[in-house]
Amino acid sequence: MTQSGYTVTVAKDLADLIPSFMSNRRKELETLRTALAASDFEELRRLGHRMKGAGSSYGFDLVSTIGKTIEDAAKASDAATIGSNLDTYEDYLAKVEIVYE
Amino acid sequence: MSEAVARSRVMGLSSGFRVLVVDDDPDMSEFLAHMLRAEGMDATTATDGEEGIAKVHAEAPDLVLLDVMMPGLSGFEVCARLKSDEATAMVPIVLVTALDDSASRVRGIEAGADDFLSKPVRREELVARVKTLRRLHETRRELERRRLATEVENREAIRRAFSRYISPRLAERILEDDGADGELFSRRAQRVEVVALFADLRGFTSITERTEVVEVVAMLNEYFSILTDAAYHHDATIFNMAGDSLLVGFNVPFPQEDAAKRSYLTAEEMVSRFAPVATRWEQRYGVATGVGVGICMGEAILANVGSPHYTSYTIIGNPVNTAARLMQTAPANEVLMCRSVYDKISDLVPSNRVEPRGEVTLRGKEEPIAIYAARVVVPD
Repeated sequence: MTQSGYTVTVAKDLADLIPSFMSNRRKELETLRTALAASDFEELRRLGHRMKGAGSSYGFDLVSTIGKTIEDAAKASDAATIGSNLDTYEDYLAKVEIVYE
Repeated sequence: MSEAVARSRVMGLSSGFRVLVVDDDPDMSEFLAHMLRAEGMDATTATDGEEGIAKVHAEAPDLVLLDVMMPGLSGFEVCARLKSDEATAMVPIVLVTALDDSASRVRGIEAGADDFLSKPVRREELVARVKTLRRLHETRRELERRRLATEVENREAIRRAFSRYISPRLAERILEDDGADGELFSRRAQRVEVVALFADLRGFTSITERTEVVEVVAMLNEYFSILTDAAYHHDATIFNMAGDSLLVGFNVPFPQEDAAKRSYLTAEEMVSRFAPVATRWEQRYGVATGVGVGICMGEAILANVGSPHYTSYTIIGNPVNTAARLMQTAPANEVLMCRSVYDKISDLVPSNRVEPRGEVTLRGKEEPIAIYAARVVVPD
């Protein structure tokens, strides 16, 4: 995986789980945006924590990285950092390529 | 223990290893379940703590993977609840915590977690931890199985040993009471009120003089089978068997309020059930035989008597000696009782079959005692 090219390598036997995983991420992005608009930092912290746990487990390391950043920023009520990370997240979800090995 | 848990213990030996994954994030629970299934295990999922606890009770999994950060009940609370419930305490729990969260591990240990898994989850770590716990679990189950088998074996050995002396029903009760304070068969002698019954076979000596040894043994076995059956039928304890006489006791080792009545009914059953055998023997050997019985009650000593090489659980004392003397004078089909026994059983015998024998001074006794003889009507 590279952050610039957004390529993720996933174990072949996880292929069945990926469509649902990706669809959940896109829904998650919407929820994050809504929470940010409402300055609901507790919800942002919770969602960030969840991204952190799930992302790398599936092989999507950047999801975990963004998740941890959102979690930490939410604890500090740092809306700006969260906003820029959500933009990165949106860009990532749009462009990520998945390679099954 | 819930029925489901009990069932799983039985079925678990042959079925696969079953894991319950509790996580509010469906991506995580599906991921973990998928990994476990790939390792040949059964995996089910729950999306929150309440559902997790319910499924542990209902499905009795072999292992629980439990997320810490969940809305509602946290993983710590779920863990603590499962560990404090006797029905689920033995189910191993792996807490899934964030990698950088050492405080969670401390709380997890306090809540009783068996192991931890870091999130994000590395496949190798997951498989290694679960496999280790599976081995531990299987070893524990095997040890438990062996322990139970030994326990069953011991109980069977005790039952077999006891059944030589007492009725199967009493043996069962002793096992249930687990020795009733361990004193029932203790070495300590006890002074107890007993009803002692001696029975022997009139006329048998003259048969033995003219019969083959093998045949004598078979005859004695037939006779003793009838007598011990009758004794067990009324929950007597068999204390001694010598020659053709049998000593049984009532009100020992367990109190029997109706001990005297039981003893008389036993005597009647011994006499009447032996009667057809006596008829057969008379036709074959030309000698009349029959059972004579002596019964007496009073205080006696109940103890294991003997040497380190041979001990016998027995009753010693006046009522035993008196019953023996009464038996010696009782003709076939007659039950001789001391007064204290007769007073308690008089309603069991029609008065035309009872004969007071007045006060009799028995051999070796100074005080005369009142004796009653009951004639048992035997079938022709």
